[in-house]
Amino acid sequence: MNMWARNPSENLVEIHDLHYSRDNRPIFSGLNMQIPRGKVTAVLGPSGSGKTTLLNLITGQLGPDEGAVLFEGGVVCPCSRRRLYEVRRQMGVLFQDGALLTNLNVFENVAFPLREHTDLPEELIRQIVLMKLQSVGLRAIWQRMPSQLSGGMARRVALARALVTDPKLIVYDEPFAGLDPISMGVIVRLIRHTNDALGITSIVVTHDVEETSSLADLSYLIADRKVAARGTPEELRNDKSDLVRQFMQGRADGPVPFHHPGPGYAEQLQAMAAT
Amino acid sequence: MIATVRDCWQSFGQFAANFGGFQMFSFRLLPYLPKALLRPRLITEQLYAVGALSLVLTMFGGLFVGMVLALQSHSTLVEFSSIDSMGAFVSETMVRELGPVVTALLFAGRAGSAIASEVGLMRATNQIAAMELMAVDPMQRIVAPRVLAGVISMPLLTAIFSMMGIFGAYLVGTRLLGVDEGAFWSQINARVDMHQDVASGFLKSIIFGASASLMAVFEGYYCQPTPAGVSRAATRTVVITSVWILLLDFILTGLTLPKV
Amino acid sequence: MSAVRAIDISVGMFILLGLVSALFLVVQTIDPSQVNAGETYVVEARFDHIGDLKIRAPVALAGVTIGRVAEITADPADYRAVVLLRIDSSFDNLPIDTDATIATAGLLGGKYVELTPGGDSEMLADQGEITFTQSAILLENLIGKYMLNSSPE
Repeated sequence: MNMWARNPSENLVEIHDLHYSRDNRPIFSGLNMQIPRGKVTAVLGPSGSGKTTLLNLITGQLGPDEGAVLFEGGVVCPCSRRRLYEVRRQMGVLFQDGALLTNLNVFENVAFPLREHTDLPEELIRQIVLMKLQSVGLRAIWQRMPSQLSGGMARRVALARALVTDPKLIVYDEPFAGLDPISMGVIVRLIRHTNDALGITSIVVTHDVEETSSLADLSYLIADRKVAARGTPEELRNDKSDLVRQFMQGRADGPVPFHHPGPGYAEQLQAMAAT
Repeated sequence: MIATVRDCWQSFGQFAANFGGFQMFSFRLLPYLPKALLRPRLITEQLYAVGALSLVLTMFGGLFVGMVLALQSHSTLVEFSSIDSMGAFVSETMVRELGPVVTALLFAGRAGSAIASEVGLMRATNQIAAMELMAVDPMQRIVAPRVLAGVISMPLLTAIFSMMGIFGAYLVGTRLLGVDEGAFWSQINARVDMHQDVASGFLKSIIFGASASLMAVFEGYYCQPTPAGVSRAATRTVVITSVWILLLDFILTGLTLPKV
Repeated sequence: MSAVRAIDISVGMFILLGLVSALFLVVQTIDPSQVNAGETYVVEARFDHIGDLKIRAPVALAGVTIGRVAEITADPADYRAVVLLRIDSSFDNLPIDTDATIATAGLLGGKYVELTPGGDSEMLADQGEITFTQSAILLENLIGKYMLNSSPE
């Protein structure tokens, strides 16, 4: 298992002994993770296991209670607002619904980071934006407004926007949710292609086991506030532990129970009849 | 009984927390305002959304309030044989009180709720989070231009409201109620003082404009990121802003009363 | 980019309309005697009673405003009201025996100070005093006097 050596320069993002709780509920207790450079890493887990929270911790929107989240060897949070923005300039995030700015058209949305952060001449901005739109296959609809796009198209535009500043890391939050098979195929191809062609590191947060197995170089399964399993998709599929098997095979009952914990059936009937 | 007291205390605590949060938000915003002036395009867009689109409402409102004032004051003035004072009466009332207050209330309803729902929607659809992740400060890009636009728009809208009101009173007074035209306008000049009345109305409108836009943006920025949350933010904005304006008006009127 | 042009035009018209309104209000309420802000001089006048005379009330000569009431105080020494009148310097030929009366504008109007020139050769100067004054006529006193006069003998 020394393919994923714990050599700092091999890993773009490192998470050491992370503890985080919200509203007095612990979400992570001692989580450890390494995201290797230039590869696609998948983060899987049942609903409510805190995947989106993990993303927020990586991007610095939330700060850990204990432990550290490192990006390029430096702590992401807590830190000054300026440093945080510097770090974020090297990251791109793709939200589930794209999160495009609704009052700008497709072109302006993709151009947004360039306009805000650079002084590039209009000519250059136009070329870069069209190039990014071309890479996601949507150069022809540059004039449309976000409200006129389907879910899949919105996500592709958001991808173009996330790539426009050539970040080192791209994080995809549930990129496959709610897509038809064709759009799903498109997104999978785009994720793989951008990762390889541009040498970016990608983190895909999802619970779609099927798509991940064709896409990811490394997978993490998060459950019970920690990493439950780690390895290639193949290794995860062959994992012997009950929890991993339940997740990978989509079983309704197992370590994650079907029945929500509570009083016994007979007891509850009696208690409710008594009131 | 105890439960009621405890609930009241909790409500008060929540109110205080909200109010404190609002003050912190306003303070945090201050350094962003000068820099926002460097992006006139953003301010212009907001001036359109907040000011130009409120124009029709304000003009109609002013016109009808002025006409009603003329009608209403007529019955009292006629008893004292001073209907020629109508011009002075309407102008002073409009410029000092009704102009700033009614314009502000209309503004809170139209522009305030629009700002709150727009910003709230941005919050609910992750646009604000996306902006932060693109290392663009949403306070700079979204909040500051809107507040500036509100502060600039309000005095203008108030002046328009007052002018339309005086004009409406003029129409009703001279055409319908027999007030002498010359007396109407000269009385205004005699009684309404630029420094005390117009200036204090102007001051009020700026303060109201700042309050209304700050509250609207605050409600939208920190609303619950759900559709219900957004609509709640819009309604809360109208209610809270209206109450606050009426309260502020009382204080400001007391502070700017002419020295006797 | 025509949407942008439309916005610019709308905003421009809005601001223009606002400024015109503000200008209208200012023009309607401006006091010409203040605009001059020219030279003025101050004289003092003492009254037994000023009624509801207010600061900034007009000071008139033959009914024409030539100044404003600048300050009103009470003097504990002689129990009278001390009124400072700020008069336009172009009216520097008011004799020192000029009379200052507190009159009412119209039947129910505000109080103002009417100046009636006397005949002395010496003129009022800055910091001078008007010695001949008539206090305001109070309605209650008038009614009281009337009632006293018309009471049956």
